[in-house]
Amino acid sequence: MIVASPAREQTRARYPDEEGFVERDGMRIFWERYGEGEPTILFPPTWELVHSRCWKMQIPYFARHTRVVAFDPPGNGRSDRPRDAAAYERSQVAEYAVAVLDAARVERAIVVSWCDMGDSLILAAEHPERVSGLVFIAPSLPTREREVAEFPFDEELDTDEGWAKENRHYWLRDWPGYVEFFISQMFTEPHSTKQIEDCVGWGLETDAETLLLSFCGWDTKELDPETTVELCGRVRCPALVIHGTADELVEHERARGFASELGGAYVSLEGSGHGPHARDPVKINTLVREFTESLAPPEPKERRWTRALNRRKRALYISSPIGLGHAQRDAAIADELRKLHPDLEIDWLAQHPVTAVLEARGERIHPASAHLANESGHIESESAEHDLHCFQAIRRMDEILLANFMVFDDLVREEQYDLWIGDEAWELDYYLHENPELKRAAYVWLTDFVGWLPMPDGGEREAFLTSDYNAEMIEHIARFPRLRDRAVFVGNREDVVPDSFGAELPLIRDWTEQHFDFAGYVTGFDPTQLGDRAELGYGDEERVCIVTVGGSGVGEHLLRRVIESFPAAKERVPELRMIVVAGPRIDPASLPQHEGLELRAYVHDLYRHLAACDLAVVQGGLTTSMELTASRRPFLYFPLRHHFEQNFHVRHRLGRYGAGRAMDFETATPELIAEAIAQEIGREVDYRPVERDGAARAAALIGELL
Amino acid sequence: MDRRMAVELTAAAPEQTRARYPDNSGYIERDGVRVYYEVYGSGEPTVLLLPTWSLFHSRHWKMQIPYLARHHRVVTFDGRGNGRSDRPREAAAYGEREFAADALAVMDATETERAVVVGFSAGGERGLLLAAEHPERVDGAAFIGPAFAGGGTPLPERTVFDFDTEYETHEGWAKHNRAYWLRDYRDWVEFFVSTIFTEPHSTKPIEDGVGWALETDAETLIATMDAPALTPEESQGLCRRVRCPVLVIFGEQDAITSVSRGAAFAEQTGGELVVLEGSGHAPHIRDPVKVNLLIREFLESVA
Repeated sequence: MIVASPAREQTRARYPDEEGFVERDGMRIFWERYGEGEPTILFPPTWELVHSRCWKMQIPYFARHTRVVAFDPPGNGRSDRPRDAAAYERSQVAEYAVAVLDAARVERAIVVSWCDMGDSLILAAEHPERVSGLVFIAPSLPTREREVAEFPFDEELDTDEGWAKENRHYWLRDWPGYVEFFISQMFTEPHSTKQIEDCVGWGLETDAETLLLSFCGWDTKELDPETTVELCGRVRCPALVIHGTADELVEHERARGFASELGGAYVSLEGSGHGPHARDPVKINTLVREFTESLAPPEPKERRWTRALNRRKRALYISSPIGLGHAQRDAAIADELRKLHPDLEIDWLAQHPVTAVLEARGERIHPASAHLANESGHIESESAEHDLHCFQAIRRMDEILLANFMVFDDLVREEQYDLWIGDEAWELDYYLHENPELKRAAYVWLTDFVGWLPMPDGGEREAFLTSDYNAEMIEHIARFPRLRDRAVFVGNREDVVPDSFGAELPLIRDWTEQHFDFAGYVTGFDPTQLGDRAELGYGDEERVCIVTVGGSGVGEHLLRRVIESFPAAKERVPELRMIVVAGPRIDPASLPQHEGLELRAYVHDLYRHLAACDLAVVQGGLTTSMELTASRRPFLYFPLRHHFEQNFHVRHRLGRYGAGRAMDFETATPELIAEAIAQEIGREVDYRPVERDGAARAAALIGELL
Repeated sequence: MDRRMAVELTAAAPEQTRARYPDNSGYIERDGVRVYYEVYGSGEPTVLLLPTWSLFHSRHWKMQIPYLARHHRVVTFDGRGNGRSDRPREAAAYGEREFAADALAVMDATETERAVVVGFSAGGERGLLLAAEHPERVDGAAFIGPAFAGGGTPLPERTVFDFDTEYETHEGWAKHNRAYWLRDYRDWVEFFVSTIFTEPHSTKPIEDGVGWALETDAETLIATMDAPALTPEESQGLCRRVRCPVLVIFGEQDAITSVSRGAAFAEQTGGELVVLEGSGHAPHIRDPVKVNLLIREFLESVA
């Protein structure tokens, strides 16, 4: 079921401001510090099966408000893997925590632990002056004699089924098998594929030999009941214990018993498993924040509240930065909305490159936008040669999406809006459905495609994953139909792909028709007002071919390939004038040059040039290809490899319009490209016309909510 | 805008059905003046809802009591001069310290060792006295549109006429005048209560307020005006002595006292200021949900 391999670390939402090692007995422990301000929050390690990345959903949020320190356990992450069992003792880990606090110049901290087996409890009992509060998530600290394990850890067994995998001999035989099994027990919630993959990946960064040094069954790893009770009696600081009712590793009675020995508050999360900080991060972040604020109330400051009828009408527009197309269409929709509601104020929660477009138009970018973690940079970092595995790139963005949702949630706790509009704002839509009580305004969801689709070479695993993501989305909408007050599809019914969401799931088009309104396509301009060649400097006798890959750096390989085709194309089309637009991320000087070929870094109002050209050569993105369709230009498009949206959704839509000629980067030699250029350039097209009222229709659907 | 009453009100209007009735009530007596108190609910900390100017009695807390009493023990009393309390005629009986002493006597009578005090308007200085001089009895103090002499500036329209001079005109704040009260108390009451509620659509709060004001009379209120008030220096000195958490809630459209007074009060007591945009002088009546939530949040932060 799970492909077990340690993965390259995904882009973080936030990187440490300081990092280092503390050394004890020749052994090095790696630590990180993020952010500034009091109180400090310390996230200590848990079992060395995972390392400090297990706090990835907490660190960016808390570091925005206060100082955060985390460290890797001995035996995993960037800490050493000592061969000495004593280095892994619970009391030793508590001493590492003290050393890390010293190194980070932290006097006292609130300690937030996951599945504590004693380290944090010892730290608080032995060093009360260093700990001002304790949060235990799913603590594994027995206050009564634990039951004897079903299978003896040390003996050779005649089965590998279930918990029989928790066995010395099995570990040495099939460590990945155990890690997969154990982690799957940790996340009992449906649709936890990403959390499981993450933890399995971390588990494979260490090995059976390392863990065996200090493990011979849980009773050898955790504190015994007598010690636990004795230490609990010595803890003087406030404490909070959080436990999921679907935790298969730590039973309810154990967590409850521990909380009552400790005299701490107890929060029970119904339906949550053993890792709620990873699976229900919004709730955990909120609970921990409330706890830290109860210990150290923030400085009193002036607050304001406005009487309902004194409030101005305000909308918060969250525009996805993945692809520039959203910026133009969202601005067009905002203009139409203002026509319907002249008193409407629109704030934008957005980041580069969307903000560049918005700022040029004088739109109000909310200052909280500065806290958003960079999404487009992550997407670029996930790309290879004309290749972007878009589904995996978005999955590997979970930390960034959550960090950005927390920015949104902080903002709307402070400020009142009548309406939230999310254009492919995945973080907003996903985490609202996971935390429906956080909805405080009317909410509109906009998208131009529905359904994650697997690429054929992803095999069974990717088909399983995309259908699991689709199933979760379908369940979200079915269970909480009140969350999306409007769901607007930017396009028409027939633009929706005819595929299925996955095995035993509905057809995408049927489901979308039931759950969406259709605005038609939204262009950011009126194509009939464009296309004056003379004004743009193009002669009637010239055959103008514009090559562009948009604003990202992903397209460099395509540019090089097309440039290579120039001499052959020029030979076939002597009037050819080829203009290659490198865009902001590619240095035109780094590209090969041919005589007669024009290389430009940037073209102002590129869409006007595209509307006037005789041929365009582009990637398979929706916005540019639909602009060309609307202005009825011939074009060659090269969908990025592994980009399911470009390969399936956009291609389907362009097919319906009879627009463009799809090219395969894999097989398109310069010769083939030159031939296609010669065949397509200047050709009269018979595309299906693109509607011009999409923005107005979208605005009408949205405006009803104001 | 003319906000005067279109309806006929009489002081004899029967009290409307309450959402909650007291669990216990009684009188304390000081220097022959009987003061009526009520106790509701249970739960720590106890909330003491202080009397405001004797224009109103304790029913002005009607939007708070039923909610707070579901979570806390609530004690309130009618300030001398209105409600079921006595209406002495001599000014000395209405000094700020008399109200503070009544509060302590009510706390003693109800076996309330400590409380979070909440005051509205004139209740501000009473609360300030209690918090500054009896820190062992007060865990926190919340104020709504508090009267405060120790800082900020008065509203300009309130500096035009004084209380004791007789004027030709009876327009606006010229009504706020000893001679006019004796001539047409009812007209001044309607003007003043309408000025408390600057928010549109406030007919019910205005009717309630006018009704409470008609339960006392001009002579009684004149006695309160002649009573010794705290000087600015006294108020500032008291602020410096406050050690408990303080919350000040102020409506930005307050037309009785200026928001700058509230800001100064919060600053001098080291308290938190919450400004309600669009609210008038009595948001606990006109925006009761928001004020109840703010008070609850404050109670939870104190305890």
